[in-house]
Amino acid sequence: MSETTLIIQQVINGLSLGGMYALLALGFTLVYGIMELINFAHFNVFMIGSFVGMWVLQAFGLSGQNVILTGLPLVGALLAALVVSMLASGVLGVIIERYSLRPLRNIKGTTAMITTIGVSYILFNAILLGAGADTKNFPNPLPEVRFHIDGAVMDLRVLLIWIVSAVLMVGLWLFVQKSKLGKAMRATAQDPEAARMMGVDVDRVIVVAFFAGSALAGAAGLAFGLYYNFTSFLIGYTAGLRAFTAAVLGGIGNVPGAMLGGLLIGLIESLGGQFIAVAWTDVIIFSILVLVLVFKPTGLLGTMAPNKS
Amino acid sequence: MLTRRSAGKLFAGAAASTTLLGAGFRPALAADKVIKIGIDLPLTGADAEGAMRIKNGALLAIQQANDAGTIKGYKLVPFVLNDATATAGQYDPAQAATNARAFVADPSVVAAIGPEMSGAGKAMAPILSEGDLATITPASTNPDITSPKFAAEFDPSGKAIYFRTVTTDAYQGPAMANYYADVLKVKSVYVLDDSGAYGVGIADTFEARAKEKGIQVLGRDRLDPKEADYTVVLTKIKAKNPDGLYYGGVMLAGTKLVKQAYGILPAAMPKGGGDGLLDPEMLTAVGFPAAEGWYCTIAAPHLTEDPKVQPFVQLYKTTYNMLPDDYAITAYDAGLVIVNAIAGLVNAGKPVTRAAVRDAIQSSTTQTLQGTVQFDKYGDIVNRTVSVFQVVKNTAYPLDDIIHQFKYIGVAPTS
Repeated sequence: MSETTLIIQQVINGLSLGGMYALLALGFTLVYGIMELINFAHFNVFMIGSFVGMWVLQAFGLSGQNVILTGLPLVGALLAALVVSMLASGVLGVIIERYSLRPLRNIKGTTAMITTIGVSYILFNAILLGAGADTKNFPNPLPEVRFHIDGAVMDLRVLLIWIVSAVLMVGLWLFVQKSKLGKAMRATAQDPEAARMMGVDVDRVIVVAFFAGSALAGAAGLAFGLYYNFTSFLIGYTAGLRAFTAAVLGGIGNVPGAMLGGLLIGLIESLGGQFIAVAWTDVIIFSILVLVLVFKPTGLLGTMAPNKS
Repeated sequence: MLTRRSAGKLFAGAAASTTLLGAGFRPALAADKVIKIGIDLPLTGADAEGAMRIKNGALLAIQQANDAGTIKGYKLVPFVLNDATATAGQYDPAQAATNARAFVADPSVVAAIGPEMSGAGKAMAPILSEGDLATITPASTNPDITSPKFAAEFDPSGKAIYFRTVTTDAYQGPAMANYYADVLKVKSVYVLDDSGAYGVGIADTFEARAKEKGIQVLGRDRLDPKEADYTVVLTKIKAKNPDGLYYGGVMLAGTKLVKQAYGILPAAMPKGGGDGLLDPEMLTAVGFPAAEGWYCTIAAPHLTEDPKVQPFVQLYKTTYNMLPDDYAITAYDAGLVIVNAIAGLVNAGKPVTRAAVRDAIQSSTTQTLQGTVQFDKYGDIVNRTVSVFQVVKNTAYPLDDIIHQFKYIGVAPTS
């Protein structure tokens, strides 16, 4: 394997990671942009999304590594898993907002953030108790199709992750920019009070932000399962922390920033692992984050947060 | 998802721990005096399946001693503690230390069995040493814990308290390096570990012997067991194109490594590890085809297929509704050693104190399933057999059958 091939391969690895981080980072950024709240429950909404995806695929009779589908059944099973895990995660996000955060809406300070940490632990332990601690064998219905680019290998699941991430990100971008609700979201992000005065239902906007962010986490969870062929109650922490870092790196509250941040963190992880050492991954990622924040405290594309004046 | 299996495990675990813990506080029915045997294992988390088998092996030895009245006038009660935590996802050295303190604090605990993991052992050994409480590990193989070089750290009292019914990685890692060089004819290798005490230790001893045997070590990387992605490091390994791969570590990182190695590294490349990989999760969480071909070792003789051990295997199976693995047998052996030591004291009319039990274990010669067990002055077992296995799909048996899907290859070369 030549040096160029190796770099191409690591870029492919990094973009797959980055796509998942970006989907997750969007959830942090959507909520932060509107409420100035870091939602730590998001870590484990992602984890539950991957479990839901696994259960849906298992309901299709898929388990382990040996059942390969092609054609329509494959597309159907994957679409069903995607839709159900997105819906389930989205609804979970809405429930978290409604019952643990809305009652605290008018309390200043870090109360809401601490609450999300508590909710995160509840979700974590619920899965630990209900599903057990062992690593789960995630169904892999994808046929082994491989594409070769100058010696580097890319398989079907990588392509699938790229397509799903890209479609969802573009969809979210269009939703935020073009739809009426998206406009209301941007208005709330800019100035919640003014938005309320103009007739925007801020509670509804918050619910939509939670739903959309959590649904993307569900999609990321399914993508994670298909890509790595496993899931476990533990997966939320590392991926969540990196995605949160990605959101900050890109500029928290900033939707294109989260996408850029996610892809960058993925690439830093893969190329850093290649040329320095995998044990140093977190050190490299967080060093770059610190450096960026020292020289550009608002992140690469600038922070967008509610105007509190 | 609450599958029937996982629910069963959960309830059985909960029920077992409450009855066992509760038993200590109930007055003994007969005039028998109660003495407790501590058992410390990672009963939840990534290594729970293997730990459960070990626990059952130890419990069986204790139960048989009670049923047969081997120790006259005494009733043995197991005192089971879990050293895994949810935040660690596997064994947690801090929890293991807490458990060791709980054993030491209870005056009726005279000996212990465990831990499974070397990282837990390193945390427990100094506390047990201060408390003069002997433990016999059926599975933890890191050599530092019993090495005189580290006595100040792990054995401050100066008397061996950490005994083993398995040999150490000072033999397990090198034996596999011998196997790579002499049998698999590997000329270059890449070495990985999982950052844990066991994983780093066994990978170090493998690497050192591999160099002595003339194998070129192309690189060494350390995996973060909480990380999901190992495709980066595997791509790096692929580019270096070694003849073989060696992984020192347990299943939390191992599951993901073996899964992701499939499809990145050539199927024909010999890939292997230590006893950390000989785990039910290799078949349940990894499964075929990814697990196919991986080598692993155990730091003990292979007994579950030995005809002489079949009565035990059958009894174990009917009692616990699962098959024993070799470390369930070494755990049973550890139980036999303790029972034998205590019975010796009682028969000689001596008081059953921790110090006396320790001395009795140190000087014991016990007939066990693996043969005669004796310890050197550091607590290590005198017999140093390392057995090699390979995952080979055997369609005649269920694909998660740990006895038949891990094919016994033989005893590893000792030099």
